[in-house]
Amino acid sequence: MIGITIDVGGTFTDCLVMDGEGRLSQFKASTTPEDRGKGFMECIRKAAHAAQMDIRDFVGRVDYIIHGTTMATNALLTEQGAKVGMLTTDGFRDELEIRRGFKNIRTSMYNLAVPPYKPLVPRYLRLLVGERTLYTGEIEKPVDIASVNAALDKLEAEKVQAIAICFLHSYANPENETLVADICRKRFKDKVYVTASHEILPVSGEYERFSTTVVSAYIGPIVSDYLFSLEKRLADMGFKGSLMMVRSDGLVQSAEHSRRQAVTLINSGPAAAPTAAHFFGRMLGQENLISIDMGGTSLDASLIRKGDIPTTTESWVGDERVAIKMVDMHSIGAGGGSLGWIDSLGLLRVGPQSAGADPGPACYGRGGERPTVTDANVLLGYIPTDYFLGGEITLDAERSRQAMRKVAEPLKLTEAQAAQAMFKIVNSLMADQVIEQSTKRGYDVRDFALIVGGGAGGAHGASIAELLGIPTVIIPKYAALYSALGMFAMDEGREYSRSFMVRADKLDLKQLASLFQGLTDQAVADLRESHVDASELISNRTAQMRYVGQFHEIEVPLPGELKSAEDVQALQEAFHARHKELYTFDLRGRGVEFRILSLRATVKRRRELTLVPLARGQADPKAALKRTRSCLFNDDWIETPCYDGAKLLAGNLIPGPAIIEEEATTIVIPETFICSVDASGSYLLKRR
Amino acid sequence: MNSKISSAPKKTAKLAEVDPLTLSTVWHSLQRICREMRRLIERTSQSYLISELKDISVGIWDGEGNTIAIPVGLPVQFVGAKYSVRYIMDQYGKDIHPGDVFLANDPYKGYSCHPSDWGFFRPIFHGDRLVFWTLARAHVEDTGAAYPGAYFSNPYDIHSEGLLVPGVKVIARGEEQQDIMRLIFNNVRLSEGVRSDSYAMIGATTMAENRLHDLIEKYGMGTVDDCVAVMMDRTERAVKACILAMPDGTTYGESATDDDGVDLDIPVTVRCEVTVKGDRLKIDFSKSDKQVKGFVNCSYPTTYSMAVAGAILFMDTALTEYHNEGTMEAIDVIAPEGLVVNANYPAAMGGAPVSMGHNILEAVMMAMSAALPPRAAAGWGRRYGQYIYGINPRTKGLYVFPGYHAEGGAGAVYGFDGYQGSASVGTLGEISRPNTEDCEIKYPWKFISRGFRLDSSGAGKWRGGPGFHWEVENLGDDAGVHTGAGQGETTFSHGCLGGRPTLANNCVIVRENGDKMKAQVHRLHQVHHGDRIVKDTSGGGGVGRPEERDPQAVWDDVYINEMVTLKTAREVYKVAIDTATRQIDWDQTKKLRAA
Repeated sequence: MIGITIDVGGTFTDCLVMDGEGRLSQFKASTTPEDRGKGFMECIRKAAHAAQMDIRDFVGRVDYIIHGTTMATNALLTEQGAKVGMLTTDGFRDELEIRRGFKNIRTSMYNLAVPPYKPLVPRYLRLLVGERTLYTGEIEKPVDIASVNAALDKLEAEKVQAIAICFLHSYANPENETLVADICRKRFKDKVYVTASHEILPVSGEYERFSTTVVSAYIGPIVSDYLFSLEKRLADMGFKGSLMMVRSDGLVQSAEHSRRQAVTLINSGPAAAPTAAHFFGRMLGQENLISIDMGGTSLDASLIRKGDIPTTTESWVGDERVAIKMVDMHSIGAGGGSLGWIDSLGLLRVGPQSAGADPGPACYGRGGERPTVTDANVLLGYIPTDYFLGGEITLDAERSRQAMRKVAEPLKLTEAQAAQAMFKIVNSLMADQVIEQSTKRGYDVRDFALIVGGGAGGAHGASIAELLGIPTVIIPKYAALYSALGMFAMDEGREYSRSFMVRADKLDLKQLASLFQGLTDQAVADLRESHVDASELISNRTAQMRYVGQFHEIEVPLPGELKSAEDVQALQEAFHARHKELYTFDLRGRGVEFRILSLRATVKRRRELTLVPLARGQADPKAALKRTRSCLFNDDWIETPCYDGAKLLAGNLIPGPAIIEEEATTIVIPETFICSVDASGSYLLKRR
Repeated sequence: MNSKISSAPKKTAKLAEVDPLTLSTVWHSLQRICREMRRLIERTSQSYLISELKDISVGIWDGEGNTIAIPVGLPVQFVGAKYSVRYIMDQYGKDIHPGDVFLANDPYKGYSCHPSDWGFFRPIFHGDRLVFWTLARAHVEDTGAAYPGAYFSNPYDIHSEGLLVPGVKVIARGEEQQDIMRLIFNNVRLSEGVRSDSYAMIGATTMAENRLHDLIEKYGMGTVDDCVAVMMDRTERAVKACILAMPDGTTYGESATDDDGVDLDIPVTVRCEVTVKGDRLKIDFSKSDKQVKGFVNCSYPTTYSMAVAGAILFMDTALTEYHNEGTMEAIDVIAPEGLVVNANYPAAMGGAPVSMGHNILEAVMMAMSAALPPRAAAGWGRRYGQYIYGINPRTKGLYVFPGYHAEGGAGAVYGFDGYQGSASVGTLGEISRPNTEDCEIKYPWKFISRGFRLDSSGAGKWRGGPGFHWEVENLGDDAGVHTGAGQGETTFSHGCLGGRPTLANNCVIVRENGDKMKAQVHRLHQVHHGDRIVKDTSGGGGVGRPEERDPQAVWDDVYINEMVTLKTAREVYKVAIDTATRQIDWDQTKKLRAA
């Protein structure tokens, strides 16, 4: 039984393979933006090669692939999504653009100098359909088919690639939306990606539902095409296992479902990083963690308090409201590939533009001529030129030097000085991002350990911690494949929800049981469809409850099935207690009502993720000393010991300054830190 | 009120050194506590206006009533709330203890902007020392006025506008004062809901107290004191640097509301002179109209709040959420007693947040725009709300249906068109608009349509966000409609630098039999089952001359945004478009623009 996780980032595609005994091996390939499937396949090819197997034999034995990709997020943030048409209830053309008046999303109320919102569907492509459903679910006006056809004629002429169907009150009765979706699907077949709001987020509140649906339509065609072609390639190679995707909410689900609900792939990939952090945090006894994942293109930061991976339904992605449940994290364009440049004020800047995978940093020798953070690290002596990706790519320091000159000369700096300036600038950008997640929310970063993943993270982690005064840095085993590792620890399944509006004192236990049974049946059916054994389903039931009259709910876990009035009473008690815990008060004596029932249905993990423990050694790491190299720390070139990561043993203590060369990453230990090697193979850097 | 009476002693203590990370954490913690408070109220309230539209403000003051954190809210509710804090301190003197909570909604005694805004104040102690005050203030569903809801425009005096609570201790050392609470809730309609929302606000102050105690425990009171002193000092210096960079001189702005609700169709005007001199800013309303019989009068703290908020809009945008007492040290707000901007008891003030409140802000924006043309900001589409009340056939109980449905978007600013969705200048975009679905679930009204209205922006090189068309039908029985929370049928908000002002708002009631009746602002109307309310509103004002607008942007407004007609493109923006090819006729455009 072979399991594979593949994380396609902006620059590198990371791959981990778990064999039948639970052993992991790691592979990396360049991401191929023009065809993201290529890097994916390259990893598989490398894995087959390492296993000394023919690629078809290898693929045929793969039981499952868990896949994360930043594709959906990138398409949304870089405005590379589809041309979308929207069909909406006559009279309500502008709900999407009015967006409930939200202006101060990424700015303060005291700032007026903000450009107006640019909706994903411009007004001329938001077309009206004669139809009306009431809040009760009653169809007041059936669909006016002529208005649908006229709108579709126009959308066809405009060559839209996706259609979002967004009708009022479709959560209460999806009949009209379903009818129009069928017409669209019949008319356009697979040529146009069609989605309806009740399929994406069947809850009341049209702005949030419409916005989420339009985002899904906007990224739908790209996601869908990609997954189709990936499945086909895999099938052609004899793949018989299941292809699973990392969801925004931190679960994994089948590729088939992801295609229909493209919005659930926002933050796919990065959403796995907090799970990796959580895994190591548990192992190392750290429950307060700031997780940063620094790849080639972007940095993702998230905060884990008391061991909880935070999720939210209140996300904005760029300028769009995405109201599905998502892992709470923040991203900026800062990574190994981030470009250095000089702005109009004559100041050196780094990012957010990235050299990406192609051409990549100048030192790759693939035509990149502008200096990147990786080039800076090469010139500072941090990254070895002969051991990048275990020696797979030979880096050309001379090209780095030439590229660096482009920013060094105008600033009258040496190349090394410019490199150091870039290193410091990108570190402070990342430190700012950590502050966004922690200090700006009022959490003191000094109460947290910084856990650093991503191929570029090891070189920068300690310097970021130093800027922030964070005492401990964890660079986990497989840091360079941080998210890919997290994917092995993620639960497979989905959360299913139903609107269920009833007062607790009028609760019909039979009806409740049958609703949950319905959700369970659906979960089992979905899992079977993706060829997953659902016999050991793990069900977590929750109810969203509130006091009668309130507008917002609290999610309360249900203790299995509710069988008696006492159970219902106990649940209400739990609600009162949770209300008080969250909000400092309760309203005992007030009526309580149910709003939404949810079932989080997951299957038992195929294999618990465990790491093979490292052999124990002495404190002195000299057996692993590989060489020394001149590295620039502050103003001094220091002959710095470089250790071979593969030879280090648990218990080794490495005082800074030092470098650890791993196959897939390089760890820089500044003078002010001391590094200990943990039994899991992780590095713990503490301030001296 | 006499604005000189209530100022706090000037701080003279020497500033301590604070480590930068601690300072940053403490500063942001105070902001986060405010956001968390607002969110707590939003999550737990039972009022549509509070929970979904966020008519909520919060803040933190020091033990002497100096402003520490005011990152988010509706300016009239909190920017000048230091006056409320100081009022309570003056009244209660030494009788203020840990666990106390005070309620104030009286515009004269406790300085609420209008009686509908109920503010709960909690003193926070470290040992015996009163170290902070926090406030949670929100617009409650009913406050026991002559009519349900708010914005009743024809009151005899302030007493017609509801129960007036003058800064009264409702919780003493943690014990709810049952007698007082019974008296209060006996005097409002929808009292169970208002009671719950009161608990939500009190809960927010409890949460703030817990968080502030955590902060003090973590860093020590001395460090927190040092941080607060450094925060105020840094803000004051940064704000003074901003003002110093402004050219010295005096500029003028004015804004009128349609009438005062009693003397009908006679506009009431606020006039403002802004004087920059060195590092000080003076905002002087002395030339404004005298106080009036109707409901549009403001207290000094209301005027102060809007004036300070208006000035902040023109400061360095990096300072936005960091303003505090230091900012206020650099700004003088002059509003003599007896004027509509500082009315004497018993003048009515029910309409103060919108009518006169918004006008005060507009007048300041107009004057500041004249002082700083590269930061010019036009007025927004004028607030055009209403409160509908009646019996909901679904519940058989009274309902009060507020809303920010129909008013147009933001005014243009130098460099950008106006933000299209945001509602109501006086909230600076902090209010949310309702979802149609939520309204239909809650109220016996059906929405026929809501959306942008053609040719409804104030034109300009940068145009305003568009106005709206809104139409709803009464599914219930007879209902009353106050149009007090609106203006702009006969008075307009400013454009800048040759940009056009806002257009006229318009509302009609269409009877079930098709008869139409104009439903003016600042009046009380009646509707029956099957009647419709139809509103067409103005968008925001423009900045710069319309004939300087990029012709491509005009073309986009015609064909992409479908917001501007060909006629307006030609006549106002001087852009000719060949309708056959749908292309800009550049030669014609040049000629039109040269003329």
